[in-house]
Amino acid sequence: MKGSVMKGSLGTSVRRKEDQRLVTGHGRYVGDLQLPRMRHVAFQRSPHGHARITGVNAVAALAAGHRVFTGADFAHVVLRAQSALPSYVETDQPVLAHEKVRFAGEPVAAVVAADRYRAEDGLELVEVDYEPLPSTVCAWDPPRESLHAGAPDNVLLERTFDAGSVDDAFAAAAVVVERELVTNRHAGNPMECRVGAALWNASDRKLTFWSGTQVPHIVRNMIAELLDLPEGSVRVIAPDVGGGFGVKAVLYPEDVALCMIAMRMPGTPVKWVEDRVEHLAAATHARDHRYLIKAGFAPDGALMALQADVTCNVGAYSVYPWTAGLEPLMAGGLLSGPYRLDNYRCTVRGVATNTAPSGPYRGVARPASVFAMESVLDAGARELGLSGVEIRRRNLIRPQDIPYKMPSRLVDDSGHYDECLTKALDLLGYDEIRAEQERRRSAGPSGAGEPPIGIGFACYNELTGLGRAASAGPRMPFRTGHDACTVRVNPDGRVTVFSGVTSQGQGLETTMAQIVADGLGVGYDDVEVRTGDTDESLWGFGAFSSRQAVIGGGAAHRTATAVQEKVLALAAGLLEANPADLRIEHGQIGVVGEPKPRISLAEVARVAYLESNRLPEGIEPGLEATRFYDPIRGAFAAGAQVAAIEVHRATGELRILKYVCVEDAGHVMHPQIVDGQIAGSIAQGIGGALYEHLVYDDDGNLSTGTLLDYLMPTSAEVPDLVIGHVSHPAANPLGVRGVGEGGTLGPNAVLAGAVADALGIEITTLPITPATVWTELQ
Amino acid sequence: MKCAPFDYVRAATVDDVVTALADADGDGKILAGGQSLVPILALRMARPAVLVDVNRIPGLGGVRPDGAGDGAAVHVGALTRHSALAAQSHHPLLAEAARWIGHTAIRSRGTAGGSIAHADPSAELPVVAVGTGAVVTVSGPGRNRSVSADELFAGALMTSLGEDEMIIGIRFPVPQRWGFAEFARRHGDFALVTAVVAEIGGTVRIALGGVGSVPVRAAAGEQVLATGGTAAEAAAAASAELRPTADMHGSAPFRQAIAAEMIRRALAQARIDR
Repeated sequence: MKGSVMKGSLGTSVRRKEDQRLVTGHGRYVGDLQLPRMRHVAFQRSPHGHARITGVNAVAALAAGHRVFTGADFAHVVLRAQSALPSYVETDQPVLAHEKVRFAGEPVAAVVAADRYRAEDGLELVEVDYEPLPSTVCAWDPPRESLHAGAPDNVLLERTFDAGSVDDAFAAAAVVVERELVTNRHAGNPMECRVGAALWNASDRKLTFWSGTQVPHIVRNMIAELLDLPEGSVRVIAPDVGGGFGVKAVLYPEDVALCMIAMRMPGTPVKWVEDRVEHLAAATHARDHRYLIKAGFAPDGALMALQADVTCNVGAYSVYPWTAGLEPLMAGGLLSGPYRLDNYRCTVRGVATNTAPSGPYRGVARPASVFAMESVLDAGARELGLSGVEIRRRNLIRPQDIPYKMPSRLVDDSGHYDECLTKALDLLGYDEIRAEQERRRSAGPSGAGEPPIGIGFACYNELTGLGRAASAGPRMPFRTGHDACTVRVNPDGRVTVFSGVTSQGQGLETTMAQIVADGLGVGYDDVEVRTGDTDESLWGFGAFSSRQAVIGGGAAHRTATAVQEKVLALAAGLLEANPADLRIEHGQIGVVGEPKPRISLAEVARVAYLESNRLPEGIEPGLEATRFYDPIRGAFAAGAQVAAIEVHRATGELRILKYVCVEDAGHVMHPQIVDGQIAGSIAQGIGGALYEHLVYDDDGNLSTGTLLDYLMPTSAEVPDLVIGHVSHPAANPLGVRGVGEGGTLGPNAVLAGAVADALGIEITTLPITPATVWTELQ
Repeated sequence: MKCAPFDYVRAATVDDVVTALADADGDGKILAGGQSLVPILALRMARPAVLVDVNRIPGLGGVRPDGAGDGAAVHVGALTRHSALAAQSHHPLLAEAARWIGHTAIRSRGTAGGSIAHADPSAELPVVAVGTGAVVTVSGPGRNRSVSADELFAGALMTSLGEDEMIIGIRFPVPQRWGFAEFARRHGDFALVTAVVAEIGGTVRIALGGVGSVPVRAAAGEQVLATGGTAAEAAAAASAELRPTADMHGSAPFRQAIAAEMIRRALAQARIDR
């Protein structure tokens, strides 16, 4: 690899530390946790989209010997997502609903029993009386009955981005295209659903909460605040977690309920393992948006103006703690993507409806906004007689434009979009596929012979590793720009890392070990990484916004370097050498220029802990350091995806012939992990583009309540992916750019564009199903 | 998503099953492969008082030839797993259909008798049963009887079986020529439309699944072929007489169009593509 920090294990696909247990079935998930006297919790959930609760009767359940908790028990605690943004309406989310329910699936009562079967038997004995209210499920329909007293129109937030002079630019444009585009509600659906276990130890007044969360420190902070406990008395442990994708970056009412139940049952651990039906109904959803979008182009394809009105369905509650601003503001902030644009006006709003709350999902809003942007580019190109490649090249932010201030005032530090696009076209075999497309077109009448081929494109800028100046979340009471790391050299010279990062399968143990091994100068195998326990690591905001490689990685690197400094200072004292002349590699310390090392790290560590008589003057015992890192700004990761598909006119079936993605991850620390992140995110993107759709009926009932109707792509639906890289290191200690989410940004636009290219129809509503394609062709 | 309490009976013989079902007085359910039943139990959409486990009954699995020449058929034991159906060579159409059922885990456990008794109109085996004119052997109190596939399927997830009866085997005639085409959103999903074409004793039969509450014969399509029409004409005629219901995966006209295309593909596979 390039660069001085890339030596040793970094840049190579070392064996992942977590795989020994994860791939042999020895992972330790919260669901596996068994504790003495453990009881199991099941939640009674609202069968109505919107209803007043007129009575709760738990007498029969209590008589059957169950512990029962209802909304009244926890009414003194509410989840209230805060933001200082003007126009934002703060709303309360109850722990267990009382007074009224606002979506089907909202928890209204909890039963505690010896096992989950009996707990569900107990649920059948809890009677809740409802008086149904009219439900509103579509955010751009007029509300039938408002959800929250503070927001009579259901609008929880609205903001307008305005730059340049949009009206003048449209007046001067050669071509103006206007579209209404609707994207499909879907969700992250990790393999492990939500899960939690809580134990209140009354004798020392401490709460332990095992949670399948992506954000243990945030959870600790919020639980302590909500339950009025000293933060030091709350311990949150996220052991192995089976996927997250943003769904688990939220603090849910069920989480708070579990902790509150535990406090009412001192010494009794209580566990809740969410099942898939609950998950589909009540974990956060995403991407339910409408774009009214208008773009003006010059004759040469230059984008002159962009105007949009974006409505995001934020569901029944402002998601805690990210707020209802999460999706709308991301959509408005990044709608213009990697394209140069001066004149931009965009109003975004988050509208509450009687559906499950929307929350963070890998790529937050961008799979939808990229689809909208690329759709108007393709439409503009068609009107101007340009190719999809030409109109993108005409408008992409170039290296010489960097730093480029987007019209939303975000600053792009990349500019390598054309390089990604060009490489992607090469990997696709663009010219050959165009030739084949032409051959089929001229071979015969439509409907006969070989199906038509189409090619689609998407270029995107994925904002990763956000520092304090561009923090994730809309002006919330906390800034997520930093993480901490502690590196400890043990008395035997081996290293333990207490990192604030968390892993849901993406290999952070490995990545952090690589960074510390190389930063400190020890072997990869001599580094152990501990994550996910707030009693062990000092601080980390957790996994979201493609932030951990950049921020947690930066913290690990800084800390390892700090420990190395002390190691060398101590060694210099022992060797009577100048620290500047010493080097440490693979745990051996030597003098630059000498062939043999002088002393091992193990011996230095022994002195540091056990032989204070040998400690050089002025050096404290111990070998440990803790450092934070904040990149201040973020690092944009450039990406381009292109694909060739064929579509059968008779059935609307779509087959992906070849799918290519090229991204700029900066320095690639672990090629296999990086490619895995890109492949996994594209698979989820393809799921959203072609299969996944959470559908509510007009009464607020979820029609797609099991995986029989909510279709996720399997390995049979995801094609082999061609993944390429360009490498332009970012300005952070490791030169890395996040890769966790970018892949999800392309597939909607790529596949919709490819269908349009193949058949000459426009896809304006997602997902793209055989039925929608067939119907459009009739 | 955990099932409600039930009593469990492990049957050693078919007579045990019939007795246990009779004792349950209409509130008993047979557990074979469990691939449809167990999810329904977990959702508490079915709450039988008694589950009768038939998996340990000897002699109910396996596929064997039964008859030869124009009368060639196979006998499929009720406990034959889909994976065994897919692997056998006596009845290539059944083997092909079985490969379209679910995924490996489902095919390893799911049974032929269970699939037929469950009577899901989108499932593969019921369509093959109607398409080939299969006959089902049923055991009940004190007697065995035979039921044709046409008479067996009474509605979506409903059969004409008595509450104390059990399917013990199915006799599938072996077609001289055959075709199988299925349209599903994903590999392994229940079909939107399944088309089975089977030429038996010189007659071409067309059956469709997923277009109504039970698998149906496409009489108009068969008539077109019998009177010398082309495959395309047969597909169009068969499709035109369908009255499928719309759902979230497609409108009625879409399903009709898919049915026509699946018939066309099945006829082409059967080389009945004049």
